[in-house]
Amino acid sequence: MTMKVILHDLDSAQDEWIASKCDRTIRADGKYAPCQGCFGCWTKHPAQCFMKDSLRQVCRVIGQADELVIITKNLYGEYSAPVKNVLDRSIGTSTPLSVYRGRQMHHTLRYGKHRLWKVIVYGEITEAEKETFRYRAERNALNDGFERSETVFLRDPAELEAIL
Amino acid sequence: MKTVFINCSPKKRFCASAYFLFLQRLFTGGKKVSEKLRTPADHARILDQIRDAQAVVFGVPLYVDGIPSHVLRFLMEMEAFCRQNGLHPRIYCVANNGFIEGKQNEPLMQSFEHFCTRAGLAWGGGVGIGGGVMLNVTRILFFVDVALLLVNTVLSVANTGNFFSKDAWISFGENAALLLYFNLGVLFFLARMGSAIRAGRAFGKKYTRILIPSFVFILFADIFFFIISLFEGGLFRGWLAKKKYQE
Repeated sequence: MTMKVILHDLDSAQDEWIASKCDRTIRADGKYAPCQGCFGCWTKHPAQCFMKDSLRQVCRVIGQADELVIITKNLYGEYSAPVKNVLDRSIGTSTPLSVYRGRQMHHTLRYGKHRLWKVIVYGEITEAEKETFRYRAERNALNDGFERSETVFLRDPAELEAIL
Repeated sequence: MKTVFINCSPKKRFCASAYFLFLQRLFTGGKKVSEKLRTPADHARILDQIRDAQAVVFGVPLYVDGIPSHVLRFLMEMEAFCRQNGLHPRIYCVANNGFIEGKQNEPLMQSFEHFCTRAGLAWGGGVGIGGGVMLNVTRILFFVDVALLLVNTVLSVANTGNFFSKDAWISFGENAALLLYFNLGVLFFLARMGSAIRAGRAFGKKYTRILIPSFVFILFADIFFFIISLFEGGLFRGWLAKKKYQE
């Protein structure tokens, strides 16, 4: 059985119908601390953050996803700050050990291979930022052990329902 | 000319970004101000320093192929601040990551460039460094090397009355030269970017790394994390296990 997880930065009114499209949702509401870069989720308490907020075990949810869908507002060709915060706090999906993948150094995967890293970007965006987003999604997929990435651009989040 | 150096590492101490910004400062002239960006409480103080700066150098660790979230929040505020006040400092970036390939910093660099475009600022370029954590360790090893030289000198005086211990100095020189070699690529590109900052011109994007073979680097990185995990206890708490979410 495949597991689909949706990570999004839309308002709470969208939660219900988004939840109906997947097995698990993570709402990036920004009510949590940024990563402190301590590596404790590798070296001290594996796959768990020392900060006791809603993201404490988020890597265990993302790690189990066969398909991860990220819905984010564009920010300089980067994920929005609340979404990026969630991703920064999820490095426990991998282990501290290293391996060569795609002819580059990466960390070994705690949860094995995944299927799809899909990014749905909304908001005003330039062509150059689109290119960066596509490249970023490819890099994320490679680093986190996803077989492929997909990037979709929407002018308005209202268009979401048709593609989810 | 005023240059503001912003250390964007969320760590309180011993961060690689601080080391690389320290080196970058050595190669940059004029008035230099160092700031640390860890929380939103730092924003107003840093923005105030940017007000009369001609250049801003960000020292940033790579997080999940991009800019750490607390830095993104600052960039949004800086964009608005620079637009409101008609500020146009040139932006440079020293990015580092724990992998050996400096090129892995590329998506981060691209986003800094897009930030500059949106904020109406001139993108000066940056240096992307691979093996940041291990290069940071070399500075500790250098101080250990100096301490060993002092101990050997004291022992030499005590045993022979001779202040100059040839063997101790040769050993110190060999170790220091090796550590310098590891850092050569970084020093070369930071020196060149320093020259660009002084001249107020664009530098472009350059990528470098710690100068050791990849397989040696990976071996040492694994040993490093094994030892840290041993002392911190993670090794005995399901170090590599598929942990399940606990409600």
